[in-house]
Amino acid sequence: MLAGKEIRRAKLRFGLLSGAVGLLVFLILFQQALLGSLLLSFTGALENQSGTVLVFSEEARKNVSGSVILPPEQAQIAAVEGVGSSAGLAEGTFTIEAKGTDVDASIFGFQPGGPGEPTRLVEGRLPTTPTEAVASKEDASDGFGLGDTVTSVDGGITLTIVGLTERSRFSVAPTLWVTFDGYTALRKASNPDATAVLPSVIALTPAPGVSASQLAASVNEQVDGVQALTRSQAVNEAPGVSSVNTSFQLILVLAFLVVAVVIGFFFLILTVQKQSTLTVLRAVGAPTSYLVKALLKQIFLVVGVGLVVGILLTLGAVKGASAGLPISLEPTTMVVTAVGVVLLSLVGSLFTLLRVGRIDPADVMNRQNAGGLA
Amino acid sequence: MKLGLVELRRKPLRFAIAGSSLVLLSVLLLFLGGLLDGLFIGSTGLLRSQPGELVVYSSDAKDSLIRSRIDPEVRAKVEAVPGVSATGGIGVALVGGQLPDKTDLVNLSVTAFQLPVSSMPSDVSLAPDQALADRSLQAFGVDVGDTLLVGSAKTPITVTGWVSDTDYLQQGGFFVQPDTWREVLADSRPDSNLPPDTFQGLTVKLDSGADATTVADAIDAATGGATSTLTKSEAVQALPGIKEQNSTFSAIIYVTLFVAGLVVALFFALLTLERIGLYSVLKAIGASSRQIFGGVVIQAVIVALVSFVIGGVLMWLLTLVLPAEIPVAMEPARAVQIAVGLVVMSALGAAVSLRRVVRVDPASAIG
Repeated sequence: MLAGKEIRRAKLRFGLLSGAVGLLVFLILFQQALLGSLLLSFTGALENQSGTVLVFSEEARKNVSGSVILPPEQAQIAAVEGVGSSAGLAEGTFTIEAKGTDVDASIFGFQPGGPGEPTRLVEGRLPTTPTEAVASKEDASDGFGLGDTVTSVDGGITLTIVGLTERSRFSVAPTLWVTFDGYTALRKASNPDATAVLPSVIALTPAPGVSASQLAASVNEQVDGVQALTRSQAVNEAPGVSSVNTSFQLILVLAFLVVAVVIGFFFLILTVQKQSTLTVLRAVGAPTSYLVKALLKQIFLVVGVGLVVGILLTLGAVKGASAGLPISLEPTTMVVTAVGVVLLSLVGSLFTLLRVGRIDPADVMNRQNAGGLA
Repeated sequence: MKLGLVELRRKPLRFAIAGSSLVLLSVLLLFLGGLLDGLFIGSTGLLRSQPGELVVYSSDAKDSLIRSRIDPEVRAKVEAVPGVSATGGIGVALVGGQLPDKTDLVNLSVTAFQLPVSSMPSDVSLAPDQALADRSLQAFGVDVGDTLLVGSAKTPITVTGWVSDTDYLQQGGFFVQPDTWREVLADSRPDSNLPPDTFQGLTVKLDSGADATTVADAIDAATGGATSTLTKSEAVQALPGIKEQNSTFSAIIYVTLFVAGLVVALFFALLTLERIGLYSVLKAIGASSRQIFGGVVIQAVIVALVSFVIGGVLMWLLTLVLPAEIPVAMEPARAVQIAVGLVVMSALGAAVSLRRVVRVDPASAIG
């Protein structure tokens, strides 16, 4: 009751604190949503294809776009013991005209039936002819919907969308999956001087009884000039992914720290200002637990309002920002962030709680205005 | 106002609470700003350093250098356009390079040039096996005299000097002769092979007094729409992700500045509350609301500036331990922008206490 009354009488102070916490929660949540969507849009295609091992050329430094596997290496990789099946997977960026607009699109060329096929098909079917393609569901409204036709601007080849994938974009761009023959035709049409169209990586599935990591190790041991990675390694170690991850983690740690510091110091100042009042309360019989509970109530109320404000702002921003990059906020991210903010607020307020717990009712006798000696 | 300064000098710890929050926010702001600048510089250096005012791509490349191709016939049409003083072919191959005695590879943007970029001597001359490397590659162990094995064919190329601010799409600038670039491109990406005299793009120098936009339009008209000609700044903005990156990071920076304002407002609201009695005494002996409020604002500004300096030092220490892969660049202009933002938001935050200061009644000093 005391806690609520104080808040009602000091709306500005508590309002400012809740507002600051709300904005910090918004920053934390929005950046997490951005990070998740960015990483998924960077590497979703690698994560959701059927090859459990991907073999890159060594000089590509785990970058699909910079990798080329030459024919002798392809033969050597296929001959490694433990390989169940192998197939070339090519990737390139093309200018595609969709719905009358030219857009940059990543195109993957895969061998139908072989490793490297998209695995998150949600509508339609996989392509079977060179002029068919599967697109990302996330881009369906931009002219990449089922039954739509898109045209490769540099070469004039028209592709019909026959299926849609989810969570399978690459390099934060609309992503199409075509047969390897279709990819070869697109490449040759865009550059008549191309001497060969080679796969960017080789996708592998291990033979029965062989794990993906064992197979990757065998390929690295037996074939020179290539780097084999398991699918999860290829996703997590893709260029840019780890640096984006580290940068955002640092930003998030700083933002969480600011939450703890702001809340902790706010309640500390407030407690110091109220010290004499709290001492009187203790002297007239209010137990320590009553004062601690009142303080905890205020902390939970301020953090609760801050969380609601932050979540609402984030949901609004996510809705508004989904034009370029399909940003989404996972419920688990919200829950984990909320729990983290509450815990950090309690940690930040620990010193204040201890101070309240240590108030000695006898100190009231030191108050000059109560006849004490000070 | 003086009283405010005296209090700051004698009781600096009283302001440590707001200060520590602002220090953390300063580090956050500088890191965000540094990351934004680092990403921009590392992606756009090649285009920004071009000597010409215009960049010409083939129209079907959607302003992407890697997908563009300008053959000699198109180039001749460009050169015939009135206002064009000179053209230089440019091309890039994004490949890995291996350092001598090291297994690690560095990301290179092997770049062909015909007109020297801004950081090169005007009479630059390279042999087929020589290159000028961007200074950013020093962080990855590259030095003058090193012979790097470049691309799939491991073509040996020796670094003979430095260029600066020429990176492209986060890969280190590595300037070579056009024929060397074509060789690397053909070996590493056979599907991107280009014949002799064909480049991916052109940098176009203009006659003095020529209007860049008018000449750009004239070039695209002269080539019958086969080209897309952009000014240098348009070409930079057309790079994938640059605009989105800029708007997202700027929004995060502005929200963080707003949080800083709220923190300062909160702190000074509490501080003012604590000093109500003192303010009434000051008013009773003749101090005006303006003087008292001026003191509060000056305290907020000084706390913000000191916090920014401490945050700047912490950020500088952080850059020393951050891995080279994280593209953080500390630009003076960005630091000034953040410092000004922080000071303005702090002053605005402190202004929240104005109403309470004005309402202090001098008569309350006597009970």
